[in-house]
Amino acid sequence: MKRLGGVQKHYYLMLLPGMVWLVMFSIVPMFGIIMAFQNYNPGQGLLRSEWVGLENFKYMFQLNDSIPVLINTFIIAVGKIVFNLLVPLIFAILLNELRSMRYKKWVQTVVYLPHFLSWVIMATIVIGIFGYYGVANTVVKAFGGHPQLFMADAGIFRQIVIGTDVWKEFGYNAIIFLAALTGVNLNLYEAAAIDGANRWRLIWHVTLPALSTTVVLLGVLSLGNVLNAGFDQVYNLYNPLVYSTGDILDTWVYRLGLQNLQFSLATAAGLFKSVISFVLIYVSYRLAYRFADYTVF
Amino acid sequence: MAFYKFPKPVDVHIGMVVDPTDKTLPKGDSVGNNQYTRYLKDKYNINIIVDWTAATGNDFKQKVSLSIASGNLPDGMVVDDRSFMTKAASSGLLYDITDLFQQYQSQQVKDIMASTQGRAMENASYKGRMVSLPNITVDTDGVHVMWVRKDWLDKLNLPVPKTLSDIEKTAKAFIDNKMGGANTIGIAGPSKNTFPYATFLVSSNNMGGFDPVFGAMDAYPGYWLDNGDGTVTYGTTTENTKKTLALLADWYKKGLIDPEVGTRDNVGDPINANQAGIFFGPWWNGGYGNGDSFKNDKTANWQAYPVYDDQGKWNVHMKTTGSTYTVISKKAKEDVVKAILIMNNALVRDEATFDLSVAVGWYPLRNVMAAANETEYEYTELLKVLNGQTKPEDYNKPNSLYKLMYADAKKVQNVIKPPYDNLNVSNFDMTNFGDFQRMYSLMIGDRPYSTIPIDKKVYSVTYNQTPTMETKWANLKKLEDETVLKIILGQSSIDAFDQFVKDWKSQGGDEITKEVAELLKK
Repeated sequence: MKRLGGVQKHYYLMLLPGMVWLVMFSIVPMFGIIMAFQNYNPGQGLLRSEWVGLENFKYMFQLNDSIPVLINTFIIAVGKIVFNLLVPLIFAILLNELRSMRYKKWVQTVVYLPHFLSWVIMATIVIGIFGYYGVANTVVKAFGGHPQLFMADAGIFRQIVIGTDVWKEFGYNAIIFLAALTGVNLNLYEAAAIDGANRWRLIWHVTLPALSTTVVLLGVLSLGNVLNAGFDQVYNLYNPLVYSTGDILDTWVYRLGLQNLQFSLATAAGLFKSVISFVLIYVSYRLAYRFADYTVF
Repeated sequence: MAFYKFPKPVDVHIGMVVDPTDKTLPKGDSVGNNQYTRYLKDKYNINIIVDWTAATGNDFKQKVSLSIASGNLPDGMVVDDRSFMTKAASSGLLYDITDLFQQYQSQQVKDIMASTQGRAMENASYKGRMVSLPNITVDTDGVHVMWVRKDWLDKLNLPVPKTLSDIEKTAKAFIDNKMGGANTIGIAGPSKNTFPYATFLVSSNNMGGFDPVFGAMDAYPGYWLDNGDGTVTYGTTTENTKKTLALLADWYKKGLIDPEVGTRDNVGDPINANQAGIFFGPWWNGGYGNGDSFKNDKTANWQAYPVYDDQGKWNVHMKTTGSTYTVISKKAKEDVVKAILIMNNALVRDEATFDLSVAVGWYPLRNVMAAANETEYEYTELLKVLNGQTKPEDYNKPNSLYKLMYADAKKVQNVIKPPYDNLNVSNFDMTNFGDFQRMYSLMIGDRPYSTIPIDKKVYSVTYNQTPTMETKWANLKKLEDETVLKIILGQSSIDAFDQFVKDWKSQGGDEITKEVAELLKK
């Protein structure tokens, strides 16, 4: 292997596309943040637009929407993080217990299919299921209940958002756990079985400890997304009736910025979101180190 | 000048909207190379270069919004919201076409512009300078009528409903008799992407909205109403709107309105599945809007009628002249600007001669320009052709203001069969479905507007945003949408309306009302 000053050159080469991508799409656009402190005028551009300081931020918090939107975002995002971790974990463990290889593959294929559908398509399916004449209401009626218009019910909109997101992703998210499970030394199971452990005991004492690092890793990584409650999904599912519980930062910013052309205000809201996300990542990373002795770097 | 062929090829860079469901482009052709771009190349030496495309709807809006935000406009694009045009203009991104337009517009375009009495020019201008080519659509796009299943009425031996209480009875009868199967919907309503009523910003083409119901209660929500004493009122905040909402909530509670109103993906779904008996919309909604309904049931006899108030009056809100705009980048060269003006002239003159088996939407920078009264004129004249009073050849007048008239006159007898005095769906031949849709829309959908005088035409004081609206309207509109839907669906009681009016006023509504009143003084 060729070495350059003791370093393997091809590793750097492999890193290059990722770095280019990062610079182009994540670092260069950072300069756009300036817009949040300006009254941005596209004709004059970033450098010559009028400077207004914190005006946009002040205005943002005067709007009646800002606080509920923040709360919605937080609840939906945290719900998704928790359930997108728990459900795939349980599913992977259960799947791992199956003996029939063919059946296992079949189940796996079926459950991860929805991952490949966009929210535009999924939303149509979801609205169909929860519509007045949909599957859900057929069940409700079978048990003697009255049909409900679930998609218009602000009280359960968040649950639907979280639930359908988990439904769409759990099969796909389980893959990483299944991969981790293949790395478990089979001798451990044998040894425990000889010691008299039953199936539940095996899961508790062998499988779960083997997965714990993966769980922590995924948990910490997902905290970076804590304010990404999922624009595509909410945008395709919501309607004015569920604004009160369903409007999230991203959909709000979209309506402000792209539909109402308030570029500066939208940037301010976006920046605000990023700052909070940053703080949350920092804190969670510290916590992971403290309690799980886990560091990425 | 209006149809000048450039000696050297002129490159025109455009951003273009495409309809992803359109399958009419022949194999091998593309958005930048098709019969329309080749026509422009051959006849005028105009080279179309497509910088970007986006799908109709929100994709396209987003793309336009981003290209304005980045200050990086293609030479030409068609924007579908006036606020995009004014934002680009106020940011100094648009070409001032005031003088070039006067020099280069064709006689036909001039006539069509004149048919609006200056409203189109005002609509296309920013601070007195013309910065875009307006679209001009027929007035009928704003007049929403009631579409009803006449075949169901006949089966039940019911008269055509005239007033709101008639509609209530009719819808109930449709449901009770399961005319559209077990899940019959009396009145279809707006979907999650359409609106309970048209507003001053989107004042037309509101398929599935309840506009005629509001009109019959003398309510004009979403419009700025001139009180006649120098003050204005926002139509949504009026007592009549409140009464109409209470009525709609009552209808919803009784199960007469589509239970999925406001959350459905597409208002056309139950209509096309022939589950619904009544819906509201403009002239083209029966024909184009519910085309699949006829495919699924050739006897679906949709007929259009006005809805009258209890005094027998027909009240209608009127639309603005048009709501899309061809904008030209300030950075475009003068030749490019001329080319875009010529492209527009050519479209207006030659649209009727194009082979329309390739959708005319592929014409680069297509922006509709039609005389304001085109549909009424066509309705009247086509009837004359059918009755033998005139011949298609009589309309063979090149550069006529009514550009599609001759082509339609030649088609009409193939599509419509006698007797002509009371047209039903059975009078129509659907072999050429495109022709059927146009003739059905014209002869059935436009019949009320062409034959029945309107008692009260209401215009909004403005169809544009005032300065304060640019920052505060998003919030107020959200409040309005939320309240209105919640009241209709019974999630809020009608008392929520008074709270809404109070909040609306204090959160910027009063301030904006003053600004709109200022506009009256001009």
